[in-house]
Parts: sequence; structure tokens; C-alpha cells
Amino acid sequence: MKIAQIKFNQPAAARVYNDYMKRVKKVTSSLPKESQDDIYMEMNSHIFEAIQHKDKLNEIDSLLDILEKLGPPEEVLKPLVADKKLEQATKTFNPVHVFKALALNITNGISYIIFAILYLFLFGFVILIIAKIVYPSEVGLYYKPNTLFVLGMGTVTKENGVHEYLGNWFIPAMVLAIAVFYILLTALLKLKKNLNKNKS
Amino acid sequence: MLCILLYIYLMNETFVTNWKSQVKKGTLTFIILNILKGHEYYGYELIEQIKQHTDMDIAEGTLYPLMNRLKTENLVDSKWVEQETGIPRKYYCLTPVGIKTLAQMNAYWKNLESSIHKIIK
Repeated sequence: MKIAQIKFNQPAAARVYNDYMKRVKKVTSSLPKESQDDIYMEMNSHIFEAIQHKDKLNEIDSLLDILEKLGPPEEVLKPLVADKKLEQATKTFNPVHVFKALALNITNGISYIIFAILYLFLFGFVILIIAKIVYPSEVGLYYKPNTLFVLGMGTVTKENGVHEYLGNWFIPAMVLAIAVFYILLTALLKLKKNLNKNKS
Repeated sequence: MLCILLYIYLMNETFVTNWKSQVKKGTLTFIILNILKGHEYYGYELIEQIKQHTDMDIAEGTLYPLMNRLKTENLVDSKWVEQETGIPRKYYCLTPVGIKTLAQMNAYWKNLESSIHKIIK
């Protein structure tokens, strides 16, 4: 659907309108194009319909009054953008969307902070991969029955009876662990989102 | 003495204002669903209907995130309708799930209303 702009007779009103709609675009810029257009058109429609019910002679005053009642886009659209971003993130499993969705929802409850921390733990595996490349003989999965279990770096290799189990499979195993934990966490995030839906 | 009375009066006023605001917030979804019963309204029209029926002065921008939530919960549906003016309107209506849910909400509300009526008489 084509997005039409509202026409104003007073240049000042046109400037205020353009500025407001630019802010709407900026606030929604992290969403898919379809959602961005949907929100833009809805705000546009609201302003247009409200103007039809106002004094046409005093365009700028009417517009300012409408925009004041509508509220700043950064505030009123925040929950809408956060909801839509979370929906997109849990649908696509895209890490960039997941990161942005968590950033937008971080103030919506302690659970989102916990999720953010758990996602940060995934970077631990990335650090292990880098460490393995730099210190190949000192990083691995060390295990001695009933006494020791180490996933990482250490001097345990020299101790008696301690074996490193993964060898050259360490990096592929860490990549697999990242993928598995990422999918698991995102599935849990999706479950949490659906639980919220049923609760509200 | 006058100061104390004024303080108590103001405290009461604040309490009642906060309580009213909580009631409004808690019943807005219920009101919207009832207004949409048997009707299709676009955003601005829906706000006007809320004001007309309830004398409630809602923050207009907050309606749209709420409508999106009702839509993801499958209680309402929406469609864009082209207009001669060139600015399309997004019309909202109840879904079959919304109609069923509203019937349950209305039954609960009637029960609550009758209980409260007995208490406050």
C-alpha cells in the first residue's frame, strides 16, 4: 500500500508534521519494513483523521494539539517496537534481532535481564575457541574420574591420570555447544513471550 | 489544625486519583473489546468512542501498542481500507476468539458488579 503524506497549507505545520513522522521512522527503524510501514501509516492516519475534526484555519495549533495528545513517538511506540522486535527475534532466531529485542525489553522485567546474562555466557565458548587457537596444548576438556572436570585452560595436563578428551574436536564441539545453547535459549525466550501473552 | 486538615484532604485526593487511574488502566482492554462488539472502528474513531462512552481521557498514543497486543492474542483483527482522501484507515474488529473471550469477561464483570453493589449499598 502506498504511503501518502498529509498536505498542509502552513509551512510551519508541514515542518512540525515532517519532523514528527521522521521521529516515528527513526524509532521503528530496527523493525522489518512491513512493520515500519504499518506503524507509520497508522500514526499518519491518526493525525489525518484528527485534523479533519479540528479547526482548519489554525492548522499549526491543531496539529500541535494532536501531536501532544498522541505523545512523543520515542515514548508511545517503545512498547510496540519492543513487542514486534521480540516477535521477529523469536521467529527468525537471528542473533542481531535477539540482541536488539533484549535491549528493548531489558526494562520490562528481571527475566529479560537473566536472558541477557545467559546469552552473554555464550561468549565464554567463543573465548575458549580463541584460547584454543592461541594455546592449543593448554586448552581442552580435562577429566579424571571423581576428582576433576575442567573445560578450559589450565596446567592440569601435567597431573597424573588427567586426560584431555576432545583434542582436535575441541573447536567443533564448542561451536556445536554455542549453537545448541543459543537455540535452547531462544526457544525459552519464545516460550516466555508466549507465557506473557497468555498472562496479559 | 487547618494545615493538618488540608494535608489529610490532599492525601485522600491523591489516593482517589491513583485509584481511578488504576481502574481506568485495568478496564481499558475490557472497554475496547466491548466497544468493538458488532462494530469496526479505525484508531482515531475508536479513541473518540472510548471518550464518548466512558468520559475517559486516555493517552491517545498508548492505544496502538495495546491494539497490537490484542491482535497478537488473536482477540482483534485489523485491515487497511483505502480512502478517497488517499490516507488509508486501519479498521479493527473482534475475532471469533475475541467474541468468546468478551462473553466470558462480561459474565465475570456482571458478577463482580452485583457483588460490589451489595457491598456498597
